[in-house]
Amino acid sequence: MIQVSSPFTHNNNSVRKVMLNVQLAALPALFTHIYFFGFGITIQWTLALITLLVVETIMLKLRNRPIWPYLTDFSGLITVTGLVFCIPPEAPWWVIVSGITFAIIFGKHLYGGLGYNPFNPAMLGFAFLLISFPYEMTQWTLPTQVSGYYLSFIDSFYLIFSGQIHSVPLDQITGATPLDEVKTALSTGVTVPTSLMSDSFNAFRIPYGWAAVNIAFFIGGTWMLISRSIRWQYPVGFLLTMIILSAAFNWFDPETYAPVRFHLLTGGLMLAAFFIITDPVSSSTTPMGRFIYASGIAVLVYIIRNWGAFPEGIAFAVLIMNMFVPIIDQYTQPRVVGYRK
Amino acid sequence: MIQTLSALKVSLIKWFARFYPMAKRNLYHFHGGIFPQYHKELSLSHPLKRGIIPKILVLPLRQHLGIRTEAKVKVGDRVLKNQCIADTKKGLSAPIHAPTSGKVIAIEPRYKPHPSGLKKLSIVIETDGLDECIDNVLDVKGNIPNDPLALKEIVHRAGIVGMGGAGFPTFAKLPEKPGIVKNLLINGAECEPFITCDDMLMQTHADEIIKGAQIVGQALGIERILFGIEDNKQKAIQAVTKACENTHIEIRPVMTVYPMGGQTQLIQELLGMEVPSEHHAIDVGVLMMNVATLRAIYHAVIHGSPLISRFVTISGLGLEEPFNAEALLGTSFLELAEMAAPKQPINYPLIQGGPMMGMALHENNVPIIKTTNCVLANPPEPVEPVMPCIRCGECMDACPINLLPQQLYWHSRNHEFDRVEKLKVFDCIECGCCSFVCPSHIPLVQYYRHAKSAIKEIKHKEAIAKLAQKRHEFKLERLAREKAERDAKIKAKKAAVKQKTAQSASTKGSASAAAAAKAAAMKQKKQAASESGTETVLSARDNAIALAKKRAQAAKDSSKKTPQIPHKPTQVTRQKTIEADRQMDKNTKPSEAGTEVPKDKSSTTDDASKRRAAAIAAARQKAKKSAQKQEDLHEA
Repeated sequence: MIQVSSPFTHNNNSVRKVMLNVQLAALPALFTHIYFFGFGITIQWTLALITLLVVETIMLKLRNRPIWPYLTDFSGLITVTGLVFCIPPEAPWWVIVSGITFAIIFGKHLYGGLGYNPFNPAMLGFAFLLISFPYEMTQWTLPTQVSGYYLSFIDSFYLIFSGQIHSVPLDQITGATPLDEVKTALSTGVTVPTSLMSDSFNAFRIPYGWAAVNIAFFIGGTWMLISRSIRWQYPVGFLLTMIILSAAFNWFDPETYAPVRFHLLTGGLMLAAFFIITDPVSSSTTPMGRFIYASGIAVLVYIIRNWGAFPEGIAFAVLIMNMFVPIIDQYTQPRVVGYRK
Repeated sequence: MIQTLSALKVSLIKWFARFYPMAKRNLYHFHGGIFPQYHKELSLSHPLKRGIIPKILVLPLRQHLGIRTEAKVKVGDRVLKNQCIADTKKGLSAPIHAPTSGKVIAIEPRYKPHPSGLKKLSIVIETDGLDECIDNVLDVKGNIPNDPLALKEIVHRAGIVGMGGAGFPTFAKLPEKPGIVKNLLINGAECEPFITCDDMLMQTHADEIIKGAQIVGQALGIERILFGIEDNKQKAIQAVTKACENTHIEIRPVMTVYPMGGQTQLIQELLGMEVPSEHHAIDVGVLMMNVATLRAIYHAVIHGSPLISRFVTISGLGLEEPFNAEALLGTSFLELAEMAAPKQPINYPLIQGGPMMGMALHENNVPIIKTTNCVLANPPEPVEPVMPCIRCGECMDACPINLLPQQLYWHSRNHEFDRVEKLKVFDCIECGCCSFVCPSHIPLVQYYRHAKSAIKEIKHKEAIAKLAQKRHEFKLERLAREKAERDAKIKAKKAAVKQKTAQSASTKGSASAAAAAKAAAMKQKKQAASESGTETVLSARDNAIALAKKRAQAAKDSSKKTPQIPHKPTQVTRQKTIEADRQMDKNTKPSEAGTEVPKDKSSTTDDASKRRAAAIAAARQKAKKSAQKQEDLHEA
C-alpha cells in the first residue's frame, strides 16, 4: 500500500511496540513475584498465554478478521499481565483458563475487538473469577518469609494441576492476603496498629512480598512513563487521591483506618496505578478526563477496601469508572486554540 | 532575576529532555508539536544551483489562490523575460510573467502540481537561451512607497503570492491604510523536514529579505518587525543578524519543532497571542510574511522585476546529490530531480513540498509554480497496516491546535459530521502531527480532509435548498399581492361605475352628463397607467352597458378557452391567463372601441409581467451572488 496523502513520514511507533514495552515494564514485578511467591506465576502466565492464543485465534476466525496482524498486535498480553498478577499463584489451572477465556471473549471480542471494548478486559475477567470462584480466589500463597516454605517449580506445577501437594501441608503455605487479614481483624475488634504487628508484616510494618512487588511495579511504571507508553495523569491522579484519602482517614482515626504506606503497598495498587487503569481503550481520553477517571477509581478503591464486602476493590472500581468514561469525555474537552478562555 | 530563573528552567528542561524527549514540548508556547528527523543536511551540503534554463517552461494560468488569469499572448508570439503574459481583472489573482525569453508554442491544458491530478490551462514557452529581458518592467522609480496602496499596486503587478506554500496573492493580504498592522513577523522558521530553500535564501540573500521587510514596514507604518528563525539554522541566523545591524528588526531564534512555521504557531511563539478562530492575523494587527515573499517584494519595488523564479529544494532519500536551486517558474520537477543524481529511476511519485504537508504527484512531469518550495524524491517504503485506534491520546498530545484528533477520527469515520464540526474540525490546519505519532498508523488527516469537504458539501446543499425555498415563498407572496392588487382595482372600478351611474341618473342634463363623463374619464386616466388619447366619450350609462356586454363576452370566451380563470401560481396557467386576457382584448376591441377596461386589464398584466421580469432578474442576480460566495468559500 502506498501512502496517498500527507504526511508521508512517521515516528515509527506502533501498537505492537507500545504493548511490548508494557510487557517489558512488567518484568521487574514478575521477578520479584517469583522471588517471594515462587514459580507459580510463571505456570499461570504460560497457561494464560496458551489460552489467549487459542481463544483469540478462534474468535478472530469467527469474526472473519485477519488472524496474524491482530494476534501479533500483542494487546492480549496486557490482559494476561493484568489478570495473572491478580490471581493466587497456586490457584487451580482452570481458574486462569476460564478467566482469560471470559476476558477475551466477553471483554474484548464481543465488543468488536481491539479498540472497541468499553470495559477493561482483565478486570472483567477478574470480577468474573472473584464472583464465580470466591474460595479459590482468596487462597493466596504466603510469601516464603511468612510461611517458611519455598515452593519449587515442580511443587507449584503439582499444586496447580492436581490441587494437592504432599511435601508441605497446604494450610501452612496459603492464607489470607494482608488486606484481607486486616479487614477480618477489624471486624473482630482488633485495631489496625495491632494487625500491622502480625507476622505478615516486616519491621517497617509493610507486608512481606506484597510491598516488594508493588515497588517493582512502581519502577516498571516509571519506565513506561518515560517511554510514553502510558500518560502521567493516570498514576498521578490515582496515587495522589489514594494518598490524600488514606492520610486523611488515618489522621482522623488511626485505630480503624490503615496508614498510607499500607494502602499503597498492599494488594494490586501499583499494578492498578500503572498497568490496569492506564489501559487507554477503556479509559477517558482528555487530559483532564484521565485525571478525573484515575481519581474516581482511587476513591472507589478506598471505599471498597474500607467499607465494602471485598478486601480489594480495584476490579469493581475500574469497571464502574469505565461506565463514566463517555460522560467524562463529554465534559472535559480541552480549549481549542483561538477560542475564548 | 526573572531572566536567570527562566534560563535555569530552560536548561533544566533541556537536561530532562535527555531522558524524556517530549519534555522539549515545554520549551515553546504552543501546544503539541513533533520532533521528526529533519534530513536538512542533505540539500545543504551541496551548492546552490542557478541559471538553469530548461528547453520548455510550462506556466499554469493559476498558480495562486483565487481565480485563473487569462493569457495575454498567442501561440507563436515571442516573449521576453519579465514580460507579463497572463493577467485578469475579474477578481483575486496574480499576473504571470515570462521567466525567460522564448516562443509561446502552446496554450493548452497541462499537468500541474494539484491534488486533483488534472490538466489545467497553461502557457508553454520554448526558451531560446538568449535570456533577453525587459528591465524594470513594472516601471518603478526605485524608492520605497510611503503609502500602502502604492505598495499593493506594485506587489499586485509583480504577481507576488505567499511563497511559503499557501499561495494567497500578497497584495490582497496587505491592508489599505497605514497603522493597521502593529507587528510584522518574518517567517523564517521552515519547520518541514528536508526543505532548506528558505534557509539557503537567508544565508545568501539576507540583505534583500531585510530590505523587503523594511519596505513593507515603511509603507504600512509598522512599528515592530520580528524575525522568527528556528534555531537549527545557525548560519542563516548569523547572516540575518549581520544584515539587521543598524535596523530595528529583532531576530528571534525559536525552538526547532514542527509546525513552528505555521502562522498560528509562530504568532503564538513570537507574540504570545492567539488569533481568534474565524479571524485573520490582520484582525489582531499582525502581518506574517515568508522570507521568499519579502525578497520578491524587494525586487519588485526596487528593481521593478516581477516574480519569475524562486528558491526550490530538490531533496529526498532517493537522490545522491540533493541541492537547492533558484529555479525559473515552469521548470519541470522531473528535470530538476534528474539533475540530483537519483539513486534509482524515478518511477515513483515525487512530492511537492515537505513530507508532513506535501502532496504526492499523480504525474511527475509538472512545473515548478510560485508556491513550490520543495521537490521531494523519497522512494516508497512499505507502509505499516492500519490498526484500530486504541485511544492512546498521542495525537491529542501532538496537536498544535489542541483538538481531540482521536474523537474527530471516531466521528468522521462514522459520518457523524455534526459532531465533527462541534469538535472544531475547521480549525484543523492539517499539519499531520496526529498521523505522524499514531501508533495504529491511521491516516487521520485524510479523514479530516474528507469530513471537511463532506461538511462543506452538506452546507452548500442546504444553502441551495434555503435559496429555493426563499424564492418559492417570494413567488407565492408576489402572486398573492398581484391578485390583491387586481381585485382592489376591479373593486375601485366597480365603485366608480356605480357612482357614475348614480350621478347621471340624478342630473340627466346633457351638459352635466358630459361633465360627469369627463370626470369619470379623468378618474380612469388616473387609474390606468397608459391611456390612448383618442378616447371616445360615452355616457356613463352606455359605458355600463358596454362593460356588462364585455364581461359576458369575456365569460363566454374564457369558458371556451380556459375552463376556469386560474389564479394558481404555475407559470403555464399564468401564461394562459395572459393569453386569455389578450384574446378578450381583441374580441372586445372591434365592437366596443374605446372602452378602456380591457385595455386597463392588459396594461396591468403588462405591468405585472414587467415586474415579474424585474423580480426574476433580481433573483438571478442574488443567486449569482450567492453562488459566487459559495465558490469563494470553496476556494478559501
